[in-house]
Amino acid sequence: MRDPLLIMRSSGRFKDARYLNRGAGFAAASAMGAVKESGLDKETLTQAGLFVGTGPNLNISGEFARIRDGKMYETGLAALWILKFLPNTAASAIARLAGIHGENATIGTACSASLQAVGEAFRKIKTGYLDLAFAGGGDSRLSHGGILAYKKARALFMGDGDPEKAYAPFDKQRQGFVPGEGGAFFLLESLEHAQSRKAKIYGEVCGFGNSIDGYNMTAPDPDGKWGEKAIRAALKEAGLLPDQIDAISAHGTGTPLNDAMEASLIDRIYGEHKPWVIAMKSWIGHIASACGAVELAICLTCLKNNYLPAIRNLKEPCHEKINFVQTTTDACPGTMMMENFGFGGQNSALVIKKWIK
Amino acid sequence: MDILKKTKEILAEILDIDEEEIAPETYLIRDMNAESIDLLELAVALNSAFNIKINDDEIFLRNLRPYLTEAKEKQADEVAYLLENFPFLTKDRMTQILDDLQGGPVLKVKDLAGYVAWREETS
Repeated sequence: MRDPLLIMRSSGRFKDARYLNRGAGFAAASAMGAVKESGLDKETLTQAGLFVGTGPNLNISGEFARIRDGKMYETGLAALWILKFLPNTAASAIARLAGIHGENATIGTACSASLQAVGEAFRKIKTGYLDLAFAGGGDSRLSHGGILAYKKARALFMGDGDPEKAYAPFDKQRQGFVPGEGGAFFLLESLEHAQSRKAKIYGEVCGFGNSIDGYNMTAPDPDGKWGEKAIRAALKEAGLLPDQIDAISAHGTGTPLNDAMEASLIDRIYGEHKPWVIAMKSWIGHIASACGAVELAICLTCLKNNYLPAIRNLKEPCHEKINFVQTTTDACPGTMMMENFGFGGQNSALVIKKWIK
Repeated sequence: MDILKKTKEILAEILDIDEEEIAPETYLIRDMNAESIDLLELAVALNSAFNIKINDDEIFLRNLRPYLTEAKEKQADEVAYLLENFPFLTKDRMTQILDDLQGGPVLKVKDLAGYVAWREETS
């Protein structure tokens, strides 16, 4: 009998792809990219951990079954359509494709989920529970259901005009977020482990912090008190003071509430030190639960290449004391703070460092 | 509708393989690695494509081996006994199946098509 997994891996075909919603598809594709890039052998992969940030499948008009009086009349649905709505389907598919069998978690903390997934993997490595862990996420809210949901929640950009100019995080005229989609995955391991196997090192994770507001179901606590706690926890774990952070990758959703909270939070923590502040969502859109992973991938590349992109469309900053990057610069930051906040008051912060041999 | 062609199309879609790789004599499990969840999808898809009621146990020959044991216990004619439970198979096919049991799961593509044709005739 032919080994079905071998066929899937060698042919690029994967019959269970029918059970992946669009976000889970991005997660599986990026995770398999990371697995391939890692060059780890089959035996080593069995011991690896897996940490996946996922969000809900909001494509309710596209694939949700309509049920009336306890009966479903839909035809054309997969028998196991349930799998398109289970949060851990992405993890299940990745594990099957890659042959990963270690400690794992699927994290559903809204827009802070995939950064938290990386943070949780980092902690498992640091505390010795795992030698290797894949972490990241994939998401898409680009469906009628997704768009309508955020429209109702009044978080979405609703203006007219040039779409290129719509997304303006931290601008006084900001009007909400523009959705994006995608995924990113990383392999985390200790420095010694990476060096012993002569791995290509992209960057260093130095500290992680996490908290929950307990304030409102959607809006962040306007004082950012608990967001601050997460950031300070990440700094503490990294053994750094605020003035040792060179740049901040802000959550910067472009919603009136997030950006006001986040700008005053940055001012309060860093004061006169004024690290550079970038907002990747202005370029790639808001990728919901996967935003942290995708932003981390881009920020690692920025650190490597001494490059900080301008916050697109930022004309009139909403806070005068923040060093928002308004013109793309070849500055060379060595340390960066990643921030992500999510619906439900979810806060995650991660300190990363440029890797210098 | 060409039942065999449509059945092959459905199998190709569910198992994510090329239709050209599927022949009437292809084994679902031995050759195409169909798993239990694929059979679930297959039943739903055949039901929807041909608008017929699918009995999972019948079409996938689920209780073939227990029925065979029963036949032996009752000292009944094995082929005749099994055909009562799987009336969509021909006598020749059932004889073939009994000769083939040692090789693993016996279900072939042509059996599915035979089931569909039988259902269409008897409904």
